[in-house]
Amino acid sequence: MILTEDQLQDLLEKSLTELPHGTEWAVTLEGSIAEGFGNPSSDIDFLLVGRTEDDLPTMPSLLFVDGRRVEIRTRSVGRLAAQFRELEKDAARPGRLSEDLLNRCQRLLHSHPLRGHALVEEVKAMLPLERFRRIAADWWAHRARQALRHATALLCLGESDEAVDWARAGLVQTVKSWAAGLGETYLEPKWLSLQLDRAGRPDVRDRYWRLQAATPAPGDADAAREHLTACLDFAEDLDLTGVPRRPEPLTVERVRGVTTWQTGDRVHVVRGRREVFVLGDDAGAVWRSLVLGRPLPRVLAAAAGTGVAEPGPLLAAFLRYGLVRLAWKGGGTVSPALPLAAPSGPVTPPPSTAQPLLSVRGAAVGGPRAVDLLPLPADRFAAAAMALVWSNVVVENAVEDLTGALQRGQWRVAELTARRAVHAALRGLFSAHGVHPLPADSDLVRRLDLLPPATRPATARARELLPRTVGSAQEGDALLADLRSCVLLVRGAAGADSFPLSFESADTWRATLQLGYDWLRLGSHLDAELPIEEARDLLASNGAQPHQAR
Amino acid sequence: MSDPMTVLVTGASGFVGAEVTARLTAAGHTVLTLLHRNGDLVRNNGRKLTPGPGALTRITGDITRPGLGLSEDDRRLVRTADRIVHCAAVTDFGLPAERYESINVAGTRHVLSLALLDRTPLVHVSTAYVCGERDGTAREDDLDVGQRPGNGYEKSKLAAETLVRKAAADGLPVTVVRPSIVTGAHRTGRVRDHKTIYPVLRVLTRGLVRTVPGRYDAVLDLVPVDRVADLVTAAAGRFEDAEGHTLHAVGHELTLRDVSDVLAEYPSFQVPRFVPPSAFRATALPDRERPYYDRVISLYDTYFRRRVHFDATRAAAFGHPPAPTGARPYLRRLLDHCLTTGYLGPDPRQDPAAARPDGSTHR
Repeated sequence: MILTEDQLQDLLEKSLTELPHGTEWAVTLEGSIAEGFGNPSSDIDFLLVGRTEDDLPTMPSLLFVDGRRVEIRTRSVGRLAAQFRELEKDAARPGRLSEDLLNRCQRLLHSHPLRGHALVEEVKAMLPLERFRRIAADWWAHRARQALRHATALLCLGESDEAVDWARAGLVQTVKSWAAGLGETYLEPKWLSLQLDRAGRPDVRDRYWRLQAATPAPGDADAAREHLTACLDFAEDLDLTGVPRRPEPLTVERVRGVTTWQTGDRVHVVRGRREVFVLGDDAGAVWRSLVLGRPLPRVLAAAAGTGVAEPGPLLAAFLRYGLVRLAWKGGGTVSPALPLAAPSGPVTPPPSTAQPLLSVRGAAVGGPRAVDLLPLPADRFAAAAMALVWSNVVVENAVEDLTGALQRGQWRVAELTARRAVHAALRGLFSAHGVHPLPADSDLVRRLDLLPPATRPATARARELLPRTVGSAQEGDALLADLRSCVLLVRGAAGADSFPLSFESADTWRATLQLGYDWLRLGSHLDAELPIEEARDLLASNGAQPHQAR
Repeated sequence: MSDPMTVLVTGASGFVGAEVTARLTAAGHTVLTLLHRNGDLVRNNGRKLTPGPGALTRITGDITRPGLGLSEDDRRLVRTADRIVHCAAVTDFGLPAERYESINVAGTRHVLSLALLDRTPLVHVSTAYVCGERDGTAREDDLDVGQRPGNGYEKSKLAAETLVRKAAADGLPVTVVRPSIVTGAHRTGRVRDHKTIYPVLRVLTRGLVRTVPGRYDAVLDLVPVDRVADLVTAAAGRFEDAEGHTLHAVGHELTLRDVSDVLAEYPSFQVPRFVPPSAFRATALPDRERPYYDRVISLYDTYFRRRVHFDATRAAAFGHPPAPTGARPYLRRLLDHCLTTGYLGPDPRQDPAAARPDGSTHR
């Protein structure tokens, strides 16, 4: 140890004077210094053990004694016993065994008693060291397998640079598992070099450092494969089981709460019922080729069969975003983690900034290979899309009504109908930009500042139309003409897809209705706020009929 | 276990019949299987049925013929039966009315004639969908309540069950078991025959038909084949407890919304759009969809409208409690199994004419 017994006792004495007196504590030194590592800036970690029924604080006290940082923890014998019991219970499933629990037990078992030696030894004897070595080795082995399997998957998908990094992570975890089996159980990889020096196998140590230092050229898949193979050879030589020699046992699996909704040609993937990813054409084709439960190479081959170039990185993106997961045959979900880091979980990319955000045919997308996250929650996305379809229907309906009213000289009816059409067009414009819930109709013109500058010509025309009155056929015709031009401007601002001119023909009308029903599926899935009943009534009663008469 | 008996099983090579036969012989009963043609009896797991410890004797016959087309020797043999389990039926949809009449109705009449000779207790396998096109709760005691059958199959099963009721009134001991839509094994989703809902799922998930008339709150009741076979076997084995009763063998209630949501969990599956039946026009379907609609979906679309719940109080009292919750997980197991076998999955773009035309059926 870097500190002598006297130095430690002195530090302890000074530290205890700063704590309240009372319980008779046994004291043991934990951590890197107790392990025989450490340096002048290392912390001093004292664990105080007492036969007490009191509820002791979990957090340590932090002191500074003689220029050193000292942490003091207090634990009852009962609590430490419970800690070991929990470790034994979780040991059978290393994937669920918490690093913190393992670390706590490790530090105690390898601690150096300073006072009350008998009690410290009594507590340590609750878990034989040999048993703990096995638990720690299994824990590291589990993590090593995960990282190496992930590396194998990434290499299969053509992400060779990422594969190299994960192979390196697997390498550390492999050698930590091996070292733990020899008694070098201290978790922190910082002291790995000293652990390997002490392990008495210079051949293993030197081979490890050679592999760790290897730097395959970026983007060189062959070099990455060679490196991974060397890491796997090393792992097998250290008796790591379940090493991923082939990617075939890796299967692509469903993630709970991920669903696919296609509108027109646009593929939307909802994650966890909350977030919506919109896929470009190539990404959508690769996504649609996914048959879950199949081996990764087969999934990749099917993706390649779509004709999309380099589908592997797209599959890797789906994996990264948590839209699918990988499992190892008989080994559960592959959940890689860097040494002593928690599994990172699904990545969430920055949200899309596309404007307008959506059309009746689906969300805007940044390119054929895009996997874009929409900037609004799934239920509001579905509600906005449905409102857009609905506004489209209402605009067309209102224009029809206006035409009829003008033919009959019903000027007041015409005014109201024109206003209804303008409001519906504005609602569509707001919805296309993801605004939901919508302002009240009477407030729409006052909320135009929510929309981007490109919409101004359309919104200015709408603002001008709203107060218009009709007193003659001439004024009525002018209103109808201006309304049509306003709708065209809105179409221009929102994108032609947003307002597909439903009443142009029976086919376009039917297509609009079908898009409405497509959105209804997603809205229904998300329990989104949709004008379902109202929409259904209109779609059902008027849906097919206006054009049957034409 | 009940004392060993001799049981005559009609339709023993069928989806349900083979499983019932296996269970009866496993329980030590002797089974006389009435088969229309020779061939192996294959269980739902795809393996040849190995009888035992009870014996199995094959008898060739034809239920469409009076006396079941049996030889004199076989006629004597079947009259030794302590029970008759009548599973034989044609369950495909869209067939000519004469087929339903000759197999389902006349076939039942001929089986009843045999049973009446010695008042042999009869377990008749019907269908829960004798309830016809109606919403609300269908009870086990309901039979003809003026309902409109959804198709020729349902009409024939209603007629057959009416004959069974009449025979019961004439003193024949009977039990009726009514399965809903019979599908794969409860635990594995495994299925021997891709009938009932399966062709529909194939056409829909491949996007061969994308627009379907239906309601999101319509309910499909899917019952695992093992659950049906268990109840039919129990009804034969403990006939005295089941006598005079009609038992619903029902399983997992799935709304079309459930179906839509679960299909959406599979990236490669197309999810159909359900449109109100009043707004649906088959003539407006694209040319490429129309043949699949006509041959498969149209045979089934009556089930996409009904909001029916099958009360199963009597089955529960008989010791057959409701299926555990988990309709969606069960549907996933069915779909996963079909993906494993390749029945579902990417579309090989086969010609519509080569697709199964039957849309086949529940029992």
